[in-house]
Formats: sequence, C-alpha cells, structure tokens
Amino acid sequence: RGPAGRGMAAAAFERRVLRSAAEHHYLRVRLELPDGGARPNAAQFKQLVVTALRELHGEVGAALPVDVLTYEEKTLSAILRVISSGLVKLWSALTLLGFYQNRRCAFRVLQTSPFLLALSGNSRELVLD
Amino acid sequence: QNIFTVCFSVGYSVVALNHVIDFKEKKQEIIKPVSPSELFPSLPIVQGTSKRIKVLTRLTLVVSDPSHCNLLRSTSANIRLYDIIAVFPKTEKLFHIACTTLDVDLVCINVTEKLPFYFRRPPVNMAIDRGIYFELLYTPAIKDSTMRRYTISNAISLMQICKGKVSSQSENKPLELRGPYDVANLGLLFGLSEGEAKAAVSTNCRATMLHGETRKSACGVVYTVKKPRKVEEEETAVPACKKAKTQA
Repeated sequence: RGPAGRGMAAAAFERRVLRSAAEHHYLRVRLELPDGGARPNAAQFKQLVVTALRELHGEVGAALPVDVLTYEEKTLSAILRVISSGLVKLWSALTLLGFYQNRRCAFRVLQTSPFLLALSGNSRELVLD
Repeated sequence: QNIFTVCFSVGYSVVALNHVIDFKEKKQEIIKPVSPSELFPSLPIVQGTSKRIKVLTRLTLVVSDPSHCNLLRSTSANIRLYDIIAVFPKTEKLFHIACTTLDVDLVCINVTEKLPFYFRRPPVNMAIDRGIYFELLYTPAIKDSTMRRYTISNAISLMQICKGKVSSQSENKPLELRGPYDVANLGLLFGLSEGEAKAAVSTNCRATMLHGETRKSACGVVYTVKKPRKVEEEETAVPACKKAKTQA
C-alpha cells in the first residue's frame, strides 16, 4: 500500500468528439422491377440514379457526386457512395422515383451508414427465436 | 394481400387497413370492418424483433357537407369497431369543424390539388391541443411530376402552420409503398427537422393509435410497464391520459 501510483504523473487524456465528420455516406439499395423485362446494366443504373436526382433536384442535384461502388445485375442491388451533405437529396430522389423506361419501379434503401464496413451486416435479417 | 407482404418486408411494425367512405354517393352504410385475423391466418414477424405485426382497422370519411358529420355523432355500433377514424374535409368550414368538435383521430389533407382553402392558425392549434394529427399522402409524389410539385408545396405550407404534427400515409399498390426511413427522409424535404421527421413516422402514429383507443374507452389510457428490479412497483411508460369528448 505504498504511494505507488502517486509517484507517476497522471496520464493526460483529451477527449475529442467528431460529429458528422465522415466525408461520404454509403447506401445499399435495391431496385425493384416486378415485370420481367430487361434489367439495367451498371451504366444504365448510374444513369437512372442521375435521372432521379435531376427530376427532383434539377441540374444541381444531377451534378451531385454519386458513385456506384458495386452493382449486381442479378439482384439489382448496388452500393452507392455520396458526399455526406448530399445524402438527403440522393435518398429523397431515390424514394420518389417511380418509373424506369415507363415501367413501374421502386427503390428500396436497405442500409445506410457513414462507414462502408457497417453495410456488411444487417440486423434486420437476423432471425430471432 | 400482396401489399402486406411488401409492408412487412420493408420494415413496418403496425399497419392499418383503411376503409374509405365517400358521402357523395348515395346511401353509404358503414359496414363492419373486416377483422384482420380473417385476412391473414398468421401474421409475420417484424424485422429484427420477435414480435408480430399488428394490424389495425381504420375508417376514412370523405365529407363535403356538414350533414355527413352526423354519422360520427350517431351511436352506430359499427363506428366503434374501428381503431382509428380519419376525416377528409373538403371545405374550410368542415375543416374548422373537424379540428374543433369532431371526434376523430386524424384529419387528412389532400395534397394533389391546389387547396381550396387556406389553413388558419386557430383551428389548427385547437386540433393540436385535442391531440389530432394531420395526415398527408405521399404516393402522388411518386407517380407524376406535377403532383410532386403540388404535394411538396402543400406539405410545406402544412408544416409551417401545424408545427410538424404530421403523420404520413401511403396508397394501394405495393410498388408505391416506401420504407419508414425513406418516408422520414421525405419529411426532411418538407421542412421538418430530423427529429420531427422520424416522429412523423413513429411517435405521431403511435400517438394516433393511443388517441383512437382513448376514444373508444371514453376515459383515458394508461400504459404500464413493469420495472424489472422492483416487481411491485409499476411505472407508466406512456402516460396518455386524455379525456375524450363524450358525445351527447
């Protein structure tokens, strides 16, 4: 029980809180096209996203830097990356999109996160007993 | 049937089946609501939890004449069977009546056309005090760009007046349904803050459900939750004690 700890200087900690510091937001989306027509390929998918932005937010919205990181044509699901300040615009544009080449469609946003790693696990798919 | 599978897959935990009555047609009778257990033998489970989806019944009355409101005052047994009652006023006077005296839970606002009346602050404030929420359909915004403009402009003017006491509603086709977080994001477009937008899909809807239960029971609703540590003590989780106006 000696003054063991007191001889050392107390460790200095500094606390930093970063709010909204992530530069990009990632979205996992799936396009639902119920009729069995031709499926869009990656370029057409990107074109569709840009069209959605243009329809809702105009030219400025269409100029938003959006990247399609992965795209699976079989399931029509993709991971998009967008600048954090543009998340609301992109998400609302995808929500309000109704037609692809005059076919009814719907975008379902499955997951969204400022970290790409977080998109790998989806707690909604857990089956609880 | 199809819509519900979509609803469940998208992540809603409570769904209300809507039955619309339009009084312009002759001799509409309020029929008994179809009990949800007849439609689905077993309700699927909400994503990510282990509870089942709740299905409620709801009635929407499209009123364009004050005499239609008499139905709400009548003691028709079938009205009492619905969990939530909504009214869709078509004129300013009816809007005023709906906000101040009618015994409803929701007031629907038509967003697809230029509103024939302006919202005035006094009846809106009275409605909020009574616990009535306003409701918007978001499906027209998905279909057509003209409707989109009207929807957004009407929604923004509604938000400015009613300080965000809004809940949202969808329509019939399964492809026009959007997930709860998507709809909350749309709330951001309409001028709500983030907390209000999420509340529009979650808290306000739950408040409407409780209001409906309050109306049915004529007194008040107290939800109690047992605290895990002290078993004898009970704590109110959602104190929603409101006296519903008893109709003469």
